Amino acid sequence: MNQVGSVGLIASLAFAAYALVAGAVGGKLRSPRITRSAERAAWGFFLMITLAVVALEYMILTNDFHNAYVAEHSNRDLLTYYKVAALWAGQEGSLLFWTWLLSIYSALVVWQNRRKNRQLMPYVVSVLMGVGTFFSLLVFFVANPFQELSLISSAGTRAFSAPDGSGLNPLLQYHSMVIHPPMLYLGYVGMVVPFAFAMAALITRQLGDNWIRTTRRWTMVPWMLLGCGILLGGNWAYAVLGWGGYWGWDPVENASLLPWLSGTAFLHSVMIQEKRGMLKIWNVSLVILTFFLSIFGTFLTRSGIVSSVHAFAQSNIGPFFAVFLAIILFFSVTLLFLRLDHLKSENKLDSMVSRESGFLFNNWILLALVFAVFWGTLFPVISKAVENTTVTVGAPFFNKVAIPMGLLLLLLTGAGPLLAWRKTSFQSLKRNFTLPIVVALVAGAVMFAEGVRDLYAWMTLFLSVFVIVCIVGEFWKGARTRMRTAKENLALALYNLTMRNTRRYGGYIVHIGIVLLFIGFAGQAFKTDAKGLMQEGDLLTVKNYMLRCDGLVSGDNPNYEYTRALITVTRNDQAFTSMHPEKRFYKASQQPTSYVAIHPTLSEDVYVLLAGLDPDTGKAIIQVFINPLVMWVWIGGVVTLLGTLLALVPSRVEREMAEMRQAQELAVQAGDGY
Amino acid sequence: MSDKQNNPNSGIRCPISQVGFARHSSLLTRHDYFWFVVLAATLFAASVAHADSARKPTLEAIGNEVQCTCGCNAPLNQCPMLNCAEKAEMRAFITKEIADGKDETTILQDVSIRFGVQALSSPPAKGFTLAVWILPGVGLLVGLGMVVVLVRRWRSKPDIVPVPSFASRDPKVLTAVEEEMKSTGMK
Repeated sequence: MNQVGSVGLIASLAFAAYALVAGAVGGKLRSPRITRSAERAAWGFFLMITLAVVALEYMILTNDFHNAYVAEHSNRDLLTYYKVAALWAGQEGSLLFWTWLLSIYSALVVWQNRRKNRQLMPYVVSVLMGVGTFFSLLVFFVANPFQELSLISSAGTRAFSAPDGSGLNPLLQYHSMVIHPPMLYLGYVGMVVPFAFAMAALITRQLGDNWIRTTRRWTMVPWMLLGCGILLGGNWAYAVLGWGGYWGWDPVENASLLPWLSGTAFLHSVMIQEKRGMLKIWNVSLVILTFFLSIFGTFLTRSGIVSSVHAFAQSNIGPFFAVFLAIILFFSVTLLFLRLDHLKSENKLDSMVSRESGFLFNNWILLALVFAVFWGTLFPVISKAVENTTVTVGAPFFNKVAIPMGLLLLLLTGAGPLLAWRKTSFQSLKRNFTLPIVVALVAGAVMFAEGVRDLYAWMTLFLSVFVIVCIVGEFWKGARTRMRTAKENLALALYNLTMRNTRRYGGYIVHIGIVLLFIGFAGQAFKTDAKGLMQEGDLLTVKNYMLRCDGLVSGDNPNYEYTRALITVTRNDQAFTSMHPEKRFYKASQQPTSYVAIHPTLSEDVYVLLAGLDPDTGKAIIQVFINPLVMWVWIGGVVTLLGTLLALVPSRVEREMAEMRQAQELAVQAGDGY
Repeated sequence: MSDKQNNPNSGIRCPISQVGFARHSSLLTRHDYFWFVVLAATLFAASVAHADSARKPTLEAIGNEVQCTCGCNAPLNQCPMLNCAEKAEMRAFITKEIADGKDETTILQDVSIRFGVQALSSPPAKGFTLAVWILPGVGLLVGLGMVVVLVRRWRSKPDIVPVPSFASRDPKVLTAVEEEMKSTGMK
């Protein structure tokens, strides 16, 4: 099967290289035949990479330890779904997985655009396959997952099969880690598509509405998936790493946040181009930046230039990525400068107090946040290079810098949608903002009276109330109009209102999701914890909770040995729950890890960790955290996901417009011979 | 500055220069922009400084500001290594510093002297490392200022005839869209 996989890789490289050239030639010569050939080669790329992935998964699932990658990342007693996840557990497999996802996206783009965007498609395919060529080269020549184990002896070198593998890293043996990397990669890889369309639009000078409409949807999907991936990673960190938090501003975490932030900026500013024909250069720049940051994030995770608990082992692929990043930057920025004349704004800004200005401020704050996170993440490397001094830039720095910017963004989340296009009058401001400000002030006063004294937490909750009232007001105003004009009840009015403009109201639901996330973040200010040595019968108190240790039990299964603490929890002297944190020792990899016990509620999580056994007394070292409002982080993520899905559903007006556009494009193609 | 702008009876008066301004149709004046930037800068600086305000040091608080030197890449309070010798040594050092009555800033300085500057979770705000603190804030403020300047420049440009949209070519579609917008309250 190693040979099958290698054949798949070589063939995929050939198809990608052919499609890269054929796409460019087909576009230059305006040849539909060559363009179709390039598109078929993109399908060939997909099929061959799929063959390679199937070969590797087959070897993992059948415990074929001739293969070095399988021997390093799997073992016989690993559960099946973890074996599937072993595909992306290591450097080589995850790069293959990245390439496979790229091939899927490429095939989808080719299929979806088989009858439209025909002038753009040659160059879209060429750019997609250019990226595919790079990754295929990297996988085959530098990080090949189809290396065989070999035994070197005095008799020579011969193939070798290990009796069992080293197993999956215990930290990765958790359910959200099975889907976190695929979601993250779908996000990273997906950003190639809007970049490809942007480059094609620049090359062909087709810089009107069409490319921006296509690019917006193709950005929203990976943006949504990247956001899911980020939250799933936070969920994993919360449940597995055992420090009671879900975001530590680790360099690899930051690397995933950067393209998500710039993608958010693009999804907002693109509305200005669609409505007013403005910010064209800005939007193209954002698409380039988002793709650059996606590749940069991949580079950061794998190059070893920064230390991270999430990073792959240091390897030699860093320089290849650095060269690729330089090529992307040079090619895209040069093309942008050559097409500046075609990107002039069609309108002017009329007022500082307008939706356009609101989006501009939103964009700038998002980019300032991107810069702050980027700068802080890379500063240790820069400091080492400039001063030969090793410094750490950790969570305290990022919290101090990012939280104020985040609060400004939260304010704009509520205020922005209530501003009118072009100019907002003072009367309109008074009408739209009086109620939200009054309600928020009342809520703020109540929170202060209830003891909320942390400035950031208070501002977060104050602004959250403000934003929610703004958004609910928007739904109410629209529904009320329908109830009057169409004589519908409230539920039907809300439904029809939303479905007639899914972009707008889906976007409002996304904003609600973001607000819920911020509410969850605010809970970190009220975290409490306690630690103690416990044996059977011992008690530990934290806040209004009492933990009683009912003993320790030990056991094992084929995968690991474990020590489990039996903890009974009472709250306000009432029975609450029982919790069983574990300390595990994984046999194949010879590594220990903790299995945290979490009891979540809407108001707070009880989080209990068995840190280990005290060597002197043999007692269990129990650490308990009370984490307020964490549940709202996960709920906020789900609401954001649902809002995005809704925003992707075309409303009736959009569908009619799309049909008209397609009909006209078909007519044009018939004239061009496509 | 025009006579209209310099009208002391307009009702809008700069608190510093006492120059009065007529209320423009755009609602905001140059002095509004200036005070907005000053306010934004003050709020930003205050919020960054908020976390640094004087507070009684605790082992917990300082443990969040210091990195464990065992190589775990985690803050001292979050070091996952059981029986970590470096963690125990650092906690003992910090406990003694607190018992000696030192404030948080002094304790962090002593930690960086004893264990190296990389033991601090945030780099000190001096020398080259001052750049890590200043540049994000400067970038934010300069950018906001640039947005203000760009808006003013765009507003001073002559009107540009907008490119007709695709939808406006077909009267039937335009009528349908108009009726749709009225029924949803968008118009």
